[in-house]
This record gives sequence, C-alpha cells and structure tokens, in this order.
Amino acid sequence: MKNHTYYPTYNVMDEQKEWDSHTRSIVTSRLQREHSHRFLTPVEAETLRVWCALLMDDHRGDIIQAILTHIDQTLAENKGEGQRKVNVPPLQKLLRQGLKAIDEAGWIADSRPFFQLDEAAQKQIMRQISDASYPLTEAWEGIPQKALFHKLLQLSVEAYYSHPLVWSEIGFGGPAYPRGYVRADPGQLDPWEAVRKP
Amino acid sequence: MKWRHEHDAVDIVIVGAGAAGGVLAKELSEAGLSVVVLDAGPWRDPQKDFASDELSMRSLAWEDTRIVDGTEPFGMGSHHSGRGIGGGTQNFTGVFLRFHESDFKTKSIDGVGEDWPIHYKDLEPYYSRIEKEIAVSGPKHFPWGNFNGPYPYPERDPLSPNAYLFQKGCEALGIQSAVTPLAILSAPFEGRPPCTNRGFCIEGCMPNAKFSTLIVHIPKAVQAGAEILPNCMVTQIEVDTQGHVNGVLFVNQGTTYRQRAKTVILCAHVVETPRLLLHSATPQFPDGLANSSGWVGRSIMTHSSNDVYAKFEQEVRLYKGTPVLASTQDFYETDPHRGFARGYTIHSHGSRPIDMAQGISKASHEPVWGPQLRQIMLDYNYYGRLTMVGEVLPQWDNHISLSAEKDENGMPRASVTFNYGDNDLKLIDHAVENMKLILKAAGGEVAYVVSDTQHLMGGCRMGNNPATSVVNSYGQSHDIPNLFICDASLFVTSSGGNPTNTVMALAARTADYIIELASS
Repeated sequence: MKNHTYYPTYNVMDEQKEWDSHTRSIVTSRLQREHSHRFLTPVEAETLRVWCALLMDDHRGDIIQAILTHIDQTLAENKGEGQRKVNVPPLQKLLRQGLKAIDEAGWIADSRPFFQLDEAAQKQIMRQISDASYPLTEAWEGIPQKALFHKLLQLSVEAYYSHPLVWSEIGFGGPAYPRGYVRADPGQLDPWEAVRKP
Repeated sequence: MKWRHEHDAVDIVIVGAGAAGGVLAKELSEAGLSVVVLDAGPWRDPQKDFASDELSMRSLAWEDTRIVDGTEPFGMGSHHSGRGIGGGTQNFTGVFLRFHESDFKTKSIDGVGEDWPIHYKDLEPYYSRIEKEIAVSGPKHFPWGNFNGPYPYPERDPLSPNAYLFQKGCEALGIQSAVTPLAILSAPFEGRPPCTNRGFCIEGCMPNAKFSTLIVHIPKAVQAGAEILPNCMVTQIEVDTQGHVNGVLFVNQGTTYRQRAKTVILCAHVVETPRLLLHSATPQFPDGLANSSGWVGRSIMTHSSNDVYAKFEQEVRLYKGTPVLASTQDFYETDPHRGFARGYTIHSHGSRPIDMAQGISKASHEPVWGPQLRQIMLDYNYYGRLTMVGEVLPQWDNHISLSAEKDENGMPRASVTFNYGDNDLKLIDHAVENMKLILKAAGGEVAYVVSDTQHLMGGCRMGNNPATSVVNSYGQSHDIPNLFICDASLFVTSSGGNPTNTVMALAARTADYIIELASS
C-alpha cells in the first residue's frame, strides 16, 4: 500500500462486542457487500466506481462498493438535501445527468466510456470538472460542474470515513458506548485505543 | 390518526419541541394549561435510536431541502436545527453560555446592530433557573461577562487532549481560558449519569449525560398532562374572522389534520418559523402573519464558526472527550483598536473523521481530494482543532423567503439568503489569527482553516416598535395577540457565544408571561 498507516495491526471491529447493539448493526452493515442498486444503472455505477476510487485515492473494492451503496441509497431514498444552492438541480437530476455527462467525456476523449479511460485521462477530466473548466456540451445543460463535483466528493467522504477499515487505518477509536474514555491527557491511551507502531 | 385533543380547542398549541418548545411545554402544562406539542420529526429513545456513529446520526438534523442563495451561502443541515422531539438539543455540543450585558445594547454601545427591548437583568433570573434545572457544569470562577459562577455542578474533569493543548497555548500567550460551562453532567443528577467522555455529543447522547428537552422537559410536560404528537408537520396557521389565530393544520403520513387552540406558539426555529408565517398569509394578512412591519424572515444571523487545524508531533486524538471542554472569551467585547465591532468566543473543539475530512476537503479555494486528502486523514490523530463562535451583525438583506419550489406537502420550500458583512469578515480574520497563535503556542503547526457557520438566529426579532420588529419582548406578535414566537428567531443580535441558554431563558420568561395572562 502506498499510503502509510501508523496503526497497521489495529482493527476497530475487534472491539465490536463492547458496542451497543444498535451501533454494531449499523457499522457491520457497512461491511456487507451489496450489489443490487436501486437507483444507479450499471454504467452509472461503473462510472462512480472509478470516480470515487480516485476521489478517495483508494481502490479497495469493498470500501468503494460501500461508497456506491451509500450513494445509491441516498438517491433512492431521496430524502432532503439539507440545502441546495439556487440554480442547482435536485440531487437525483444532478447526479443522473451529471454522470451521463461524465460518461460522455470519456467518449469525447477516447471513444470509450469514462470508466475505461486510463487513470491520467480520468484525473484530467475530474480536475477540469472540479474547477468548472471542462468544455460544455449539450449533456452539461443545467448541470453546474462544481456543484456536481462537490456533491460527489461530499457523498464519497462521508461514506469512506464511515467505513471501519478506514477507521482502523487512521486510528479512530470508533463507537464508544457504553464504555467511553477515561485516560484524557495527551499521550495517554485507554486499553482499546489504536497504538502507534514504530 | 387519533389523539386526545382531536376535538378540543386546547389552551396552547406549540409548534416544535426543541430547546424553547420543550421548556414552554413543561412550564405551561405544569401551570395547568392544556397543551399540545407538534413536531415534524420522530420521538426517539436515546438508548435505542441513537448510535455512536457520525453518518447515521445526521438524521437528528433538519434535512429537508432549503434553497440557499448569496455569494457564500452557508451550509444548513447537520450543523443547524434539529428534527424530532428535543429538536436541536439532541445534536448540540452542550455548550451553555450566557449573553453578556453588552450583547443586548450593541446599538447604544457600539453603534452597530440594534438594541434588544430587554436588558441582561431581565434574563438573569431565567438563566439561573434553567442552569439549576439542568445542573449545568462549569467552573467555580468564570472570568467573563456578568455571571462569574459558581455553576450548579462542578466543572468537567478530566478534559480532553485537545482541550489541554488549548489551555497550554492560551497560558503561554497570557490569554485567560476556562473549562466550558456545559449542559453535560459532571456528576449524577435526577437519575442521569455523568459524562463518560464518549465524544459523540453532536450525534445524540446515548447515556443521557447531556441535557436535551427530549429527556428532561418533555417527560415532565407529559407528566403534567401535555400531549406530544411526533411526526406532525405543521403547514398552516389558521386565522378567524377577528384576525386572531385559532389553530393549526398539520400533516401526518400524508393526511392533513387540524388542532384548534386559543394560543399558538411557534418554536420552529429560524427557517421554519418565518416560512410558516409567510405561508399562512390570508386576505386579511396578505404578506403573511405577524408581518405588518415586513420584518418576518429579515435580518437572520448565523455565527461565523471557522475552524483552525494544526498538526502536532504527538498524537492528539480529536475523537476523545466531549467536543468542547475549554474556551476563552477574552476577545468577546468590542476593542476599538481591532478595527471592527463586537467579538467572539474560541473553543477547543474535537472532531470525528467525517467532520474533519469534509472540512479539509473544502479548506482551500480548490477542493482537496485524492492522495492529498487521504494523506491528511492518515494523520487524523495528530491534528488539534479550535473553532470560533463569532458575532455576525444583523443585515436586512439576509433573509428567509418562500421559494418557487414546493415540498411533498405542497408547501413552498424555504429560501435562505445570506452574505457576510465587512465587520463580520474582519472579525473572522482576527479570530482565525488568534486561533493560529494559540495552536502555535501549544506546539502545533498550523495547517488548515475551514470556513464554517453554526447556529441560526433572527428572522422574527423582538422590539418595542411594531414598525421595526415582529414581536414584543415576550415573543407576542404585535399584530396578533394570541400568536407567540419563541425560539432563536426572536434574537435581535447574535452575540459572540452559543445561543441555547438564551433561547431557553427567553422561553422560560415567555412561559411566565403567558401564565400571568391566562390567570388574569
């Protein structure tokens, strides 16, 4: 792995017996691979698979699938968005039409779907979309590129940093009910916390 | 649905069961008035429905879509109003500060904002009552403002690694700091346990160590006879031919019902209260209820809440402990040398991974993603963080209105327009600079500054002049005497500290007034 973790042997899931059952069921559900999407089409899912992996700089299939599952659930449930900037379309439309435009970018670049482009070409398109400098085609009509990029980043970040494998890697102590923490001075650790390996 | 007061005109219907609605429900029902409380969200059981999980507990916030506008529109959602019985007290950090005397008279003292129609002394007994009622923990001596302690319960001990670093930084610079007054127990109280430093306060407190009206006021209200109806979204306030309100319409599972009432109290928060008033317009009140002044929805405020992250050589572990445990208000009052009016509070502020990653991803002009974000987050345990609560001055142009888009109940979605003013931006720069200095003095290397906002206030401000305010100092509408508004939308100015204590003190004062009216 190219990224360094200070806690190579820590596994937050080892502590799950200490968690309340409601939290445990929420967290363990993120470890189940789910393939049947309710909203995403297969092409949309493949586009997202490479897009989200590059956004998070992580290609581990299980983790990226958890992001896709989160995005699919968010789109299918279609609950409130909290806020939406004026002139940005509702989430379902933003993502459906946005993913179509991203896919089209692949065909324009190299006569292939976006998810089949090489990584350098994918990243180049992502960078352009992130600062709204990707050339506008009809597919982009009504889809603000920055808003699309930010929404995909937001959804990916919240799913990625909810994944117990990622918690373990960054040394996050995870769920803490009912036991909580006792040792609070800098450098002090409760026995179940991640210990840095030299 | 069936409910107890289905066919009655109750004395009081309260819209929203949050910080203010909870207090009113308890006080008014204990005074013998018949009370129905309607809340758009569910009635949760902390031990079964809360979880130690950031992502899933975002459902505590009001997630309905609001349309935001402005050059730098602020984020709604998880940082702002709550949803469900308990409202925002379910997902607040528990920081429990009083306003200072100067907060009520910014126009007279500093020539900015507007004066409140009340003085600090008017709220003082209510602050004391509320703090005692929920056993606020805090220092023996609090160095700032009119109330210097001691607090009803001892200050929290131990603090968190992040809070200790903050204290160290402050001490090195000669800045006073104190353990933060918190609505979180430091010792057992009324059958509730002290805090275990679990850290998930914003995600809803499972042990019930943190106060919320869900676990404190609502059960007492129920015991006194109040009827609480969850999952009931109020869509309309009804007006009779005399121009008085006589009840509300609400939607439960797609069906609309009516609750008749002699008095209606809106505690639906800064966005939903004006939205409901504007949407309830009638031929008699064509611009919306209580809005003859045109001030409904106007001069909304937030708190600037920029975060500063610094990287330390040793582990900090921002996930440990109550998020806010130490604070300074040394920069709270106006200092003419700074070149701007008013001031701010600085808190040491913990963070769970999503909160930090989302903050960092928008810390610079271009989004931070890919290897850069991943690398920063692999060092998650090495970051410390401070946050500010900065006063934002009221401006007429910052407002709530009805958008053209409708929700599933056919009600126009709220539109929220907001821009910072020059004073606000100067204040933010000053606070960010100070946060950097404190972190450096604690041994950190300043790394990221994240723009953020917290808390909403204003929109139905109180005042003595009906031409320039919506309600009097008791939240009573100038236009419609049996319509009350009682939540943070009453705020005239925002102060430089967390608002929940003031929201609840105002609610307790309004409750006394309504009880007096009812008995006279």
